[in-house]
Amino acid sequence: MDLSLTESQEMLKAAARELVEREFPKEVLLDLDASAGGFRPDLWGKLVDAGWLGALTPAEYGGEGGSLTDAAILFQELGRGPVPGSHLSAAVLGPLIVMEAATPEQKRVILTDVPTGRRILAPAITEPDYGWEPDYFTGTTASRLGGGFLLKGVKLFAQNAFGATHLICPAAVDGGGLGLFLVDASLPGVEVRPMDGFSSGDCEARLDNVEVPHSALLGGGAVNGWQSLERAMMKAIPVLCAYQVGGCERVFEMTLDYSRSRVQFGLPIGRFQRVQDHVIDIVNLLDAARLTAYEALWKLDAGRPAAAEVHTAKIVASEAYYQACNAAHEVHAGLGIMREYGLTLHTKMSRALYHYLGDPAHHKGRLAEALAL
Amino acid sequence: MDFDITFTPEQERFRARVRSWLDAHAPKDFPDLADPVLLTEADYLKQRRLGRELGDEGWLYPTYPREYGGGGLSPPEALVIEQELDRLGFTLPPYYDSGGKLGAASIMVWGAEEQKARFLPPILKGRVRTWQLLTEPEAGSDLANVKTTAIRDGDAYLVNGQKIFVGSAHGADQSWMIVNTDPGGRRHQNLSWFIVPMDLPGVSWAPMDLLFAGNERGAASGLKQTVYFDNVRLPAFNLIGGENNGWKVAGTHLELEHGLMQTSLGRNQLMERVFRLCKERLRRGRPLASNPRTRDLLADMHVDAQIGRLFHLRNYWLQSTGRPISYEGPQAYLHMKRAALRTSKALHKILGPYALTTDPHWRLEDGHLETQQRGSIVAQHPGGTVEIQKVIMARALGVGRAAAGKPDGQG
Ligand SMILES: Cc1cc2nc3c(=O)[nH]c(=O)nc-3n(C[C@H](O)[C@H](O)[C@H](O)COP(=O)(O)OP(=O)(O)OC[C@H]3O[C@@H](n4cnc5c(N)ncnc54)[C@H](O)[C@@H]3O)c2cc1C
Repeated sequence: MDLSLTESQEMLKAAARELVEREFPKEVLLDLDASAGGFRPDLWGKLVDAGWLGALTPAEYGGEGGSLTDAAILFQELGRGPVPGSHLSAAVLGPLIVMEAATPEQKRVILTDVPTGRRILAPAITEPDYGWEPDYFTGTTASRLGGGFLLKGVKLFAQNAFGATHLICPAAVDGGGLGLFLVDASLPGVEVRPMDGFSSGDCEARLDNVEVPHSALLGGGAVNGWQSLERAMMKAIPVLCAYQVGGCERVFEMTLDYSRSRVQFGLPIGRFQRVQDHVIDIVNLLDAARLTAYEALWKLDAGRPAAAEVHTAKIVASEAYYQACNAAHEVHAGLGIMREYGLTLHTKMSRALYHYLGDPAHHKGRLAEALAL
Repeated sequence: MDFDITFTPEQERFRARVRSWLDAHAPKDFPDLADPVLLTEADYLKQRRLGRELGDEGWLYPTYPREYGGGGLSPPEALVIEQELDRLGFTLPPYYDSGGKLGAASIMVWGAEEQKARFLPPILKGRVRTWQLLTEPEAGSDLANVKTTAIRDGDAYLVNGQKIFVGSAHGADQSWMIVNTDPGGRRHQNLSWFIVPMDLPGVSWAPMDLLFAGNERGAASGLKQTVYFDNVRLPAFNLIGGENNGWKVAGTHLELEHGLMQTSLGRNQLMERVFRLCKERLRRGRPLASNPRTRDLLADMHVDAQIGRLFHLRNYWLQSTGRPISYEGPQAYLHMKRAALRTSKALHKILGPYALTTDPHWRLEDGHLETQQRGSIVAQHPGGTVEIQKVIMARALGVGRAAAGKPDGQG
């Protein structure tokens, strides 16, 4: 047994941390938070240059072809920011869907442009009737039209769709089945709009009679899109969890530091046991999230059955990030709610990711199935 | 036992009078804002006018003596006024004001006669709006650690320093504050309590950028400010309760702020909204409230709300019948703070991302639910943090000590 990272993973982690700290200081993150859709092309370029968008793309298409654990190490560092934006969609879930669902020719065309950032993929999955089971994705329809399809529907709370060049939309194909469509965001009838709120990355994507060619259907005529989507999501989820772990880790560090530096009643507040309780809660949440996420990643990378571990990881990480932020707010009191301090960036992100790719209740149901209960 | 608040026939006649008076005086079609930061200057001025008119009747701060501008009314009569305003969506006072809510209590107890005559009527009649200036960068829970100084200089004090998390949007006429009048002096014996006109030269303020700035127990503040004092000459007449006696003066209102000033016996509007929404809104063609998990969460919310209601009801009973009260104020306050966070989580679980969005097309309940998500986090801190509420309760109960001590934490 060895729970340490390999030497090359340690290097990756150190480089990633350095890049995030250099390119995404708090001022930049606050600015991103305030800008529409949290997308800035100049910052996007930094991630491209660092080669992060190709983390999972196979080498034959110009990517790193790394393991899920390698990708998770990067995403954990991004989560420390938290650096918002399209990276999870464009570098993880998007390419994973393509790898699971697409024909070899589609893979070549699409994936080759992923590491270079020319194609920014954004899966736009959920709909106004919100949920993560496949029958919630079928309000969007694809009717056969000439050689292609006509897409109609609304995708809602689509993470990072704003700024994406291509959406990946599940839709009910007439005649039956779920198709996964690669939709060029510049096509007539496609309208993507960022949504505001105490969340991050949410978008509305309207498909108003969008005509797409037959080649837009991933898998060349396949209408078993759920299986591919599900396989891709099961791999993407623990990488998302690693991002949440990064968030917890940063929130823990901020809180620990503050417990030492903030003095009230002549003592560092960390000397009050009520404050200690919060800090201890955070480190417990952090470690639980870290271990569950990385065990799931390890199993997936080793090709072992990992369904129960993946569901467990998402349950733990979603709760951990949410509760760690709440505990951090207790300790920081007034300071924590000042936007300029930066804690609220995490709080907001912890809310956005709580339900993304399924909330804990959803994954508890799936876990019970995986455990054959 | 009887859990009904009953009113005498005379009090019911008073209610009818208040109701018809409000029909004539309360602004019509007043906006029901999701976030008080959206309150316009024009609407704020309408609130102020209602306040003045209530003040003329003695109904703005109904239980204060008439000679100082109050109404000389009993707690049940005050409750009647609050309930009638609540029906129309207004609080009492109808705007954020720490003057009559807290400051006046200290002036009543500690002010000299000429100070009461000068300061109380404008507050109690709604002629002025007052902020409270306690917190500083180095003095939050530890209020006694304030560093803003007021040094005697002839017939005035020279004030320098900075206060944070103060007040509201749309300015104030005056503030009350605690400052240090003896920088070398002993803790608790170096503080003084002042009323400060906000138009004195050298007083300025700027809004803070916060996650949310609060519905502090009914009185929507909208914004919090940093207030700066730069060589402000403050007349010595404005010192209440004597130099270096400020800690005792503050004790009078801190106790109130720790959960007693607001009885919260009004409608639970959030609950009404959520229950209606969950019965009406469909998921997979079925009402949200038909889902067993949602029912469980809604039941939890209801239980929390009932406990909160009963704590407040009990406190109202204790206060209005002159019974002794110790830990019960912070108990109710602590419960409200904690229940707010549980409610946020339950709503997030039930509604998913809809609980978070302010998108004009997709938000629910005009954005009130999103506001609750931010508001519950912020609500943990004002009037003393959760930990401080526990400190105060433990002292009041005498946990681990022979005799109950004095509370120290603040608001
Ligand atoms: C919405 C809002 C409105 C407000 N309105 C006003 C206002 O109108 N006027 C005003 O003056 N102030 C106001 N405040 C400020 C508020 O009173 C302070 O934020 C609060 O007292 C906490 O102080 P602090 O933020 O400095 O936290 P700190 O006191 O620094 O606390 C940090 C942490 O240490 C803990 N802690 C401190 N001492 C102890 C102890 N002895 N035992 C255990 N734990 C301890 C706290 O609980 C907290 O977890 C407002 C704050 C908010 C959020």
